Amino acid sequence: MIDLIAQSLFSGLLSGAYYALIALGLALVFGTMRVINLAHGELVLLGAYVSYTAEERLGLDPLASLPLALMVVIAANMVVYYLISLIKKDRELNSLILTFGIGVILTNAMLMIWSADIHSATTPWYHDAVILFDTLFAMQAELVFAGAGVVLVGAVWWWLEKTWYGRALRAVASNRDAAKLMGVDPRLTEILSFAVAGLLATVSGLALYTAKVIQPSLGHNLTVKAFIITVLAGIGSVPGVLLGAVLLGVVESLTVTIASSALQELAGMVLFLVVLLLMPSGLFGRAKRRG
Amino acid sequence: MTNAIKLAIFLVLAYGAVPLALGGNPYVIGLIVASLTIGGISVAWALLGNLGGMVSFGHAAFFGVGAYVSALLTMRAGWPVFPAMLAAGVGAAIASVATMPALRLRGPYFALAILAYAEIFRILATELKSVTGGAAGLLSIPRLPMVLGIDFGSKLGGYFVILTIVLLAMTGYQLIRRSPYGLALKAMHDSEDATKVVGVNSTMLKAWMLMVSAFITGVVGAFNAHYINFLEPDYAFAGLWTTLAIVSAIFGGYRTVTGPLLGAVVVYLVDQLLFKAILPQGHQIVLGVLLGAMILFSPGGLMPLLVAKFTRKEASHAA
Repeated sequence: MIDLIAQSLFSGLLSGAYYALIALGLALVFGTMRVINLAHGELVLLGAYVSYTAEERLGLDPLASLPLALMVVIAANMVVYYLISLIKKDRELNSLILTFGIGVILTNAMLMIWSADIHSATTPWYHDAVILFDTLFAMQAELVFAGAGVVLVGAVWWWLEKTWYGRALRAVASNRDAAKLMGVDPRLTEILSFAVAGLLATVSGLALYTAKVIQPSLGHNLTVKAFIITVLAGIGSVPGVLLGAVLLGVVESLTVTIASSALQELAGMVLFLVVLLLMPSGLFGRAKRRG
Repeated sequence: MTNAIKLAIFLVLAYGAVPLALGGNPYVIGLIVASLTIGGISVAWALLGNLGGMVSFGHAAFFGVGAYVSALLTMRAGWPVFPAMLAAGVGAAIASVATMPALRLRGPYFALAILAYAEIFRILATELKSVTGGAAGLLSIPRLPMVLGIDFGSKLGGYFVILTIVLLAMTGYQLIRRSPYGLALKAMHDSEDATKVVGVNSTMLKAWMLMVSAFITGVVGAFNAHYINFLEPDYAFAGLWTTLAIVSAIFGGYRTVTGPLLGAVVVYLVDQLLFKAILPQGHQIVLGVLLGAMILFSPGGLMPLLVAKFTRKEASHAA
């Protein structure tokens, strides 16, 4: 039993780092523009499908398809940004409905292009097992992308805290007009946040493709997970995203081990509601009235 | 033309002309029934959105709860179908009480919290196998009965039932809107804080709107269960119920009483008759395109757009 729990905690940590990758993109855009991009999960999936096509048609290793996937996903996210920027009135809710619509478009476009079949990486290296400390099991892909998750979250955190553009982004988030007066171009920083979100979505897409399976209907689910983590983290906290993601990963994984895999999603949803209702500013967020 | 005459013409068309013209074509009547079912959810969604100022992404929760309550009451407790459908509305309203802590949240948080509830209800319906039959679902749910020689279990009978449900829902919506509560809700939309200051219990009003919306959605869900005689969690709580209702309401204009129904009929029929034929797989892409286009170009829906066109024409004629 102890072994099982240890394995479950370890798997939870690994998926937590992967969840953090997905959630950080959503949280970044939310932090800058107060816009929840409900198409974010679909963008992750789009990245995954690009590397599937590259592997299937060109025989490229999933990692080697990264530049191609980056181009496609970032371009798609730029279109999303452009459409959102057209909204003038009641942006918070209208952008929610708009991106929901974009999500529906992307899901069905992927269904048309790639059909409803389930795919996963065929390069065997990614699925090879690694045994740590004689007991803990993981796939190589899980380890690689958990590592990538931690590194990228750290990098984004450093970028936001220490660099000029990162500061500009935070300035736009806290007061758009004041930032403008200080010589920051708000549009440019917003575009930048969408580009970085696209990058994070692409890497998460690769992780999804190599460590798990892909299917067109998954996108919505990924968006919801990312939003749950954003709520757990609280607005404006990058380390919070990592911790929130790990919390979700561990809770899900323990639920599967102790109860049943059917309850996995339920655990996440209940965690989400409890935090949302009892601690509206999230577990790690700076205190802020919601809405 | 006065409104009373317009209403009379509409009623004659809906209860007389449509069934006479299309009654012999079960396929088309079936499509119309489905579009009215979505229209019912859409009216309920728009009521919450317009009067309560809350966008919900989880109306499938109330639809599913209503469907299961009615199906179980008739199958396990031997209730007659119509009372069970009313009880289903009450059941959905009670389920909405469970979602009320989410009323503290605003905007996107509320929208997605309701989505979480819908997911939780779906998983519960799947897991509570002894009550709901689990993922295998419920088969042979009683059909709508024969009353006064009219077989409501037929396609055409179903049409009359859902049409009446939707029209009653719209009447209720209109009555609320005209009442003092409607005024308070409208004021709340402009400034919630100011409305609170003059003594309106805004949270209470929002809670009522949520319950009314859930009630309507629940009755529609119950109708659907008895109409198709089959239920499973993934179907009853499918996100598509919410998506279609939102697209219809936004398309028809969610700030009007008639818009959501009109939107549902147009969107669903065009989708099924035209786009499903052109794009057998992924035809719902059209729903997303419609939703995006409406939000960007005419957030008030199609009706204001047409009305604006007409009034401009009339004005130029007068000049």
